[in-house]
Amino acid sequence: MKSKTPLRVCVVMPAYNEASVIGDVILDVTKIFKNSPFSVEIVVVNDASKDNTAIIAKKHGATVINHILNSGAGGATATGLSYAQQNGFDIAATMDSDGQHSAEDVLNGINEIIKQKNDLLIGSRLIESKGMSKTKILGNKGLSFITYLLFGINSTDSQSGLRIYSRTALEQLRWKTSGYEFCSEMLWRAKQLGLQVGEYPIKTIYTDYSKSKGQNNWNAVNIVKNLLKQRIRELLG
Amino acid sequence: MSRYLLLILLNIPFIMLSIIGAITQYKLKRLTKKRFIIQIFIWILVLVGLISVESIYTWLFTHNLTQTEPLSLFDVIQITAIVVVYYVANRSHTKIEMLERRVQDLHQELSIELSTKGKK
Repeated sequence: MKSKTPLRVCVVMPAYNEASVIGDVILDVTKIFKNSPFSVEIVVVNDASKDNTAIIAKKHGATVINHILNSGAGGATATGLSYAQQNGFDIAATMDSDGQHSAEDVLNGINEIIKQKNDLLIGSRLIESKGMSKTKILGNKGLSFITYLLFGINSTDSQSGLRIYSRTALEQLRWKTSGYEFCSEMLWRAKQLGLQVGEYPIKTIYTDYSKSKGQNNWNAVNIVKNLLKQRIRELLG
Repeated sequence: MSRYLLLILLNIPFIMLSIIGAITQYKLKRLTKKRFIIQIFIWILVLVGLISVESIYTWLFTHNLTQTEPLSLFDVIQITAIVVVYYVANRSHTKIEMLERRVQDLHQELSIELSTKGKK
């Protein structure tokens, strides 16, 4: 009997100065995927960190792509997904490297995208927003509302970093922004390309570390400014 | 020579260069259709505006909507300078945008290439 080749999954983690937690995050993902039917490769995109992120990630078995220049979350995610596309992965997942996402949710997302036959699946922290502070909920909901106003996209959590991509999405999705605003822009590009976008609930692990690393509401102002700029640019061609 | 004619003659090379540039960039697929249309529209608007400066001035003057002096040589130089600055700014903006995209792609490819080499 011919054995079926397992689906190849690439878990991309954009990282900037995450030396203190990246090792544990990689270990969690490796442990969860060990008993799964998927063949997984963890790719850490070290966005020109000043600490030992790259060394620790490599030590824990991840493939490390080192950015020479700091490009922001959008740039690092683009590099990771481009690697997944070039190396023929069937599915890719992006997750934060600060430990705020659970590896279990990544695996659930992969099962979900196969089941739902979506091209892009967003892990929404706001479907069940347990443990999230009111300020964070307000900031995230506000950004999702602005994403709706600017691009007409209905998403409960437009800023989530946990996303699952089909092969089609890997081949077609491209965006221009390089900061955190890429999260909203990606949804917009997916809409323009006619990709099937879905959502599934995820939990968020808030530690003192992940709280200190996450985006604050002032960063949201910057995101809105850049999204507006991008929208106007697009209007002018 | 009429100052109005001088104004047109001084500005026409920049307008033509911009229009030809936009068409070339569009044909070479370096410019999106939307951006191409906007560029052509703006430059044709500038051209029409410059050609009709005299008639607009006469109309405004006869309808008592302006009391300003007719076009002076200084005005000609000033308007030409504005057109030239817009031409240079537009070209620089296009070039910077293109360079930015290329640097981003280069950085991305280089990082992947180096990591693959490191793996081997």
